[in-house]
Amino acid sequence: MNSILFLDALGQFLQPDNLASVLVDGLAKAALYVMIAGGLTLIFGLMGVLNFAHGSLTMIGAYLGGLLMVLAVGQASGPGTRLLTFFLALAATFALLAGLGGAMEVTLIRRLYDRPPVYQILLTFGLTLILDELVRIVVLFYGLQPTSEWQAALGTKPGFLSSSVDLGIISVAGLDLFEIAVGALTVGALWAFLTRTRYGLIIRAGSEDAEMTEALGIDVRRVFTVVFALGAGVAGAAGVLLMWDASWGASVPLASHTLLPAFVVVIIGGLGTFRGTVVAAVIVGLTDAVMSWWFINEIDFAGLPQMTIFLILVVMLILRPQGLFGVEEVGGH
Amino acid sequence: MYTVLLNSPLSSEMATVLPDIETMITVLYFALFAMSFDFISGYTGYLSFGHAAFYGTGAYFVILTSNGKIPGLATGTPFMLMLVLAGLAAVVLALLIGAVSFRLSGVYFAMITLGFSQVLYVFIRGWDYAASNPRDGPAVLERTDPFSIGIPGVDSLNLAIGQLAGDEVEGLLGVLNFGTTEVSYYMVGLVVLVCYFAMQRIIHSPFGKVMVAIRENEERAEAIGYNTFWYKLGAFGVSAFFAAVAGGLFAGFQRSVSPESTFYFTVAGDALLASIIGGFGTLAGPLYGYLFDESVTEFLSKSGEGGGLLPYLRDHLGEGTLSTEVFNGLTVQEGIDTFLNGHAELYVGAVFILFVLFVPNGLLGTVRDRLGGHVGKQVAARLRGDER
Repeated sequence: MNSILFLDALGQFLQPDNLASVLVDGLAKAALYVMIAGGLTLIFGLMGVLNFAHGSLTMIGAYLGGLLMVLAVGQASGPGTRLLTFFLALAATFALLAGLGGAMEVTLIRRLYDRPPVYQILLTFGLTLILDELVRIVVLFYGLQPTSEWQAALGTKPGFLSSSVDLGIISVAGLDLFEIAVGALTVGALWAFLTRTRYGLIIRAGSEDAEMTEALGIDVRRVFTVVFALGAGVAGAAGVLLMWDASWGASVPLASHTLLPAFVVVIIGGLGTFRGTVVAAVIVGLTDAVMSWWFINEIDFAGLPQMTIFLILVVMLILRPQGLFGVEEVGGH
Repeated sequence: MYTVLLNSPLSSEMATVLPDIETMITVLYFALFAMSFDFISGYTGYLSFGHAAFYGTGAYFVILTSNGKIPGLATGTPFMLMLVLAGLAAVVLALLIGAVSFRLSGVYFAMITLGFSQVLYVFIRGWDYAASNPRDGPAVLERTDPFSIGIPGVDSLNLAIGQLAGDEVEGLLGVLNFGTTEVSYYMVGLVVLVCYFAMQRIIHSPFGKVMVAIRENEERAEAIGYNTFWYKLGAFGVSAFFAAVAGGLFAGFQRSVSPESTFYFTVAGDALLASIIGGFGTLAGPLYGYLFDESVTEFLSKSGEGGGLLPYLRDHLGEGTLSTEVFNGLTVQEGIDTFLNGHAELYVGAVFILFVLFVPNGLLGTVRDRLGGHVGKQVAARLRGDER
């Protein structure tokens, strides 16, 4: 690559409209990252359980969301009811996944709290195998994919998701705006729930000192179940978002494709800090958008955009092993 | 043994339950990889989640060398030499990765090694020097003769391995006749056995004792005066060496590799499964673990010729039973096909969870607990009738 071309490219990159669209793209990516990593960091930060099955929950959320859309939104008539059922389906996915997460905690994970943390990694790793394979059986059996009927699910999304909005110098895809909105809403809601409500206070107390909280007459076990359910619910909602996004889509390998970025974001932010995860998601999202622009427009190496996120991780861990906002190493080996 | 069981009155049941010899070759080289994973993770306690990087390095090294793509190495390099060089390449890689990663511990260590292996995975998937279609991975193109295991330069001691082509041995010691697959089985087994003894030797050396000390209490090991960083790095390098040898055996036997089967993190995940099921921190455990894993997989999902539950049920259940409706138009036949064809992961996952919950020490670990020590020693002691 010679330097004149590089300067040209730099000039083109720094055009205001281009910069703005990269920024929006980056924020939309950040919103997705915060959604897929949010539940993970919640579960790890409050319970110390590194949930390997998180990606599978996201993947199930994607399928479940699509299924509900076909069942509910497909039946509805009129744009108003369609929009309403769209949000109902989103909420229902959240609720169902929360239920699944709660059930997982009660039946399996609860048994392992008094063992070394590595056993929780192992158990949830086993869970991903089971969940992925079950979904694969269901998908195969009902012929969900890659048949044209499944495309019907994508057809049920409200109009604003496929249109674009004019914002002065650039036009923004409605999907990007929706992703940013949902991401911001989720972060706000979780933050408010944890810091502004009584139950959030109990959750934080339970994670700080389980014994003392128990002594105060609070059932810590139930608190942990709620946290796990909440994390799983967020994962499910993330899945619904990913389903609409052309660069992700619903598929069984989605489980591992989302799990790894989720881990990376959580680690860059510092294990166990929610604030760190949000900041890390923004950093990773923006870097990803900038890198994608460069590698699609200027440098020809197909693998690099996918490598960026892991390169950020490696650089981050070399410079600051505990992550951006991490205080000390959590968990043992 | 296998033949005896197959010719027994229960032959069709035995064919259903026992793994066949191709599977056993897979079990051998993958078990070596799982052992190398256990060597670092089970003995020092540092969970190396990106261990697939070294397996992949070994596999790609062998394929690239035999395609003449590694500068300075001819296409006709003896296979054994390739394995050693691949191992050394992996050691270099391990020292680089380890130098950064061992500043961390616990979950962070697992994650950064995972990160490194994913970087390599994505890189190899996009690197068109390695293969014309890097996503599918390279195959051996330049070299037509099968890879041989033995002493380089001494032809009479070399025997070729290969999935489709290898040596046959007729009339060894006047009685033994081996087909090509059997030769591959014994030769791969030989390398794996040598590697196993080498790792075993290291673990029982003072170096190995320090590794265990790091696992049990790193601060205390440091307080005694050991520089634990160098010990961890050394152990990581040794482990990477054997992981690469395992990858090389895989490449040599299959003659083609893909990024998914070598560098992807689920490969390390399989090694993890094998180690846990077999017994974490017991070097031989992963072999039994992977054998168990692979037997379950094959028993439950083998759809092809001979062996496995699916053909067995197809053959032995009557036509009437097969077409019976169970539920909502689902016949038994369809049910068997749906749940048994290629979905062994489901059952392996379930078995794995049961192991984590109820048999945390794994197969070998539990047996050792029961016997109160190493199996070989205990059995020998009991046979001799020693008082304990």
